Amino acid sequence: MDMYAVRTLRSQPLRLMLTIGGIALCVILMFFLFAVYRGAADGSVEYIRQNKTDLWVLQRNATNILRGSSLVSAVQGRKIQQIPGVKSISPVLFVLAAIKKGDRDRTVFLTGFDPEKNIGGPPYLVAGRNISHDNEIVLDKSFAAKFRFKVDDHVEIQEHSLRVVGISTGTNAFVIQYAFVTVRFLQKMIGFPGIATCYLVEVDEGNTLAEISSQIRRELPRLEVYDHETFLENNIQEMKSGFLPLLYTVAAIGGIVLTVILSLLLTVNILERRKDFAVLKTLGSPKGFLRWLIIEQALLISSAACVVALIVFFPLVQMIEKISPEVSTKSTVEQIIVVVIIVEIMSLISSFLSIRRLRSIYLMEAFL
Amino acid sequence: MKKLEDLKYVVRLSEVSKIFGSDEHKTVALQNVSCEASAGELVLLLGPSGSGKTTLLTLIAGLLRPSSGTISLFGKNIESYSAKMLQQIRAMRIGFIFQTFLLIDSLTVQENVGVVLRFNGKTRREAHRHAFRLLEQFRIEHLAKKFPRTLSQGEKQRVAVARAIANEGDLIIADEPTGCLESKQGFEIIQLLKTYSKDQNRCVIVGSHDLRIEEFADRILRLEDGILRESA
Ligand SMILES: Nc1ncnc2c1ncn2[C@@H]1O[C@H](COP(=O)(O)OP(=O)(O)OP(=O)(O)O)[C@@H](O)[C@H]1O
Ligand SMILES: [Mg+2]
Repeated sequence: MDMYAVRTLRSQPLRLMLTIGGIALCVILMFFLFAVYRGAADGSVEYIRQNKTDLWVLQRNATNILRGSSLVSAVQGRKIQQIPGVKSISPVLFVLAAIKKGDRDRTVFLTGFDPEKNIGGPPYLVAGRNISHDNEIVLDKSFAAKFRFKVDDHVEIQEHSLRVVGISTGTNAFVIQYAFVTVRFLQKMIGFPGIATCYLVEVDEGNTLAEISSQIRRELPRLEVYDHETFLENNIQEMKSGFLPLLYTVAAIGGIVLTVILSLLLTVNILERRKDFAVLKTLGSPKGFLRWLIIEQALLISSAACVVALIVFFPLVQMIEKISPEVSTKSTVEQIIVVVIIVEIMSLISSFLSIRRLRSIYLMEAFL
Repeated sequence: MKKLEDLKYVVRLSEVSKIFGSDEHKTVALQNVSCEASAGELVLLLGPSGSGKTTLLTLIAGLLRPSSGTISLFGKNIESYSAKMLQQIRAMRIGFIFQTFLLIDSLTVQENVGVVLRFNGKTRREAHRHAFRLLEQFRIEHLAKKFPRTLSQGEKQRVAVARAIANEGDLIIADEPTGCLESKQGFEIIQLLKTYSKDQNRCVIVGSHDLRIEEFADRILRLEDGILRESA
């Protein structure tokens, strides 16, 4: 009897396949969204995560580097340096700028840092080397792939020609990619010598971060100071607030579509086999037995769909990343488990929606 | 609930009426029907189409509630059973045969018989094994793995009887079991039911309009327009 769940499904193979396919698509959509989110999340904040410094100093009211602007002057920079207990400071300047190739151009998140300070640069280099001169640039891997830039190529930014010396990863924020130049070049390019977005501050040993922070705040009330963890968290929050609403909306739509498809199939199956169900009821089937049949079917279908989705997903992602390299995804086991759990929960909901149909089958129906 | 041997009557109806619908659209399906059936007998409920046979059988099985009158099933007023108890009674003590047998198409013959045993509380394995023994008893064990749509009418009826008696029920309710059979096959199914009622001392109630099977009945109840005409 317990084969009933499987057998009734198998008796309509085309319908079953379409349903599994439809649900698998929803599952793939969810896998993909999570993967893109993880990819973008890492790409957005990996720069901050890897540039471990004691304190980040920005203009007041600027809490992150992703959205919001901050300007710190050279004078303020010097004042920070003079505070006792401050070991070193490194300026970093972020500017949105267009890189030209032929007649196309594409905006990058141009990051100027001081190569002599050994901080503020790309999180990981996968080719070439880091910049050391003003006419050099490091490009993000996806960006370089998309526009076919290689090490030793020349790129043009506002009439300046820069040589690509390295390729970085952890620098693809999905909507935009980081590129690295010297802070001096960038200041010159925008015409504000000495200007920075923020300063990365290292503190002498024996000083607490809290002490130095409050001292900077006291001396420079127009600036704000964050320790590394807080600043990283700020940026993560900022990235989430931009990304998650969209992610949740699309994932919810996927979930609803999945539930609708599945409850439709289950309901049609019940209605088509009313007589079977009526016979089973008459023969003394406990309520739970029939309900479990439907739940079993829902779980079987959704699990099959998850398996199909898993088989298709990874090759599909590889293909997408090949076609559009700026889509950099990251799938973790936890993500996949979360999606599978969501899908199984939705399939339970669909089965509950369909189970209500059982009630409309009268006990007498088998005799009619 | 009493054991079968302690019961004078397996089923007893007194002044039972069943009215479907209300006001202008009402149909009186049964009117003041009183009758009974005991263990060891095959009662034939005879009547033309629309006379109320199916209504009466479903009332007895507790699938419907009477509009008035009382039905006692296994010695207790049927109203005193909860829906869950009625479900358990059907699973444990009643067997059913339907007009077109209504075997479940997506299950094998063995599973069709086994399903009743599952409701009866047996494990899947027990049900499976027991079902096979029943098929052997009816000499259709070679059909065990087949699906109902591939069976002949004669084979189907044997499976239907095997399913009906699988739970060794005290009461078998059969609605038009010969309805779609040629007379030879029709006789066979009635013969099987008769044997069951005699050998096992169980009660079998058959609803039919088929006059040819009269001779097998221990007792005949004639229904006409919902009224019981005579008992013979
Ligand atoms: N659920 C119902 N709703 C309304 N009327 C019903 C219902 N069930 C049966 N009836 C009516 O009750 C009367 C008796 O029907 P029933 O099915 O019991 O007769 P029957 O003797 O079994 O007939 P048949 O030989 O055609 O199966 C008929 O007039 C029928 O139309
Ligand atoms: Mg009938």
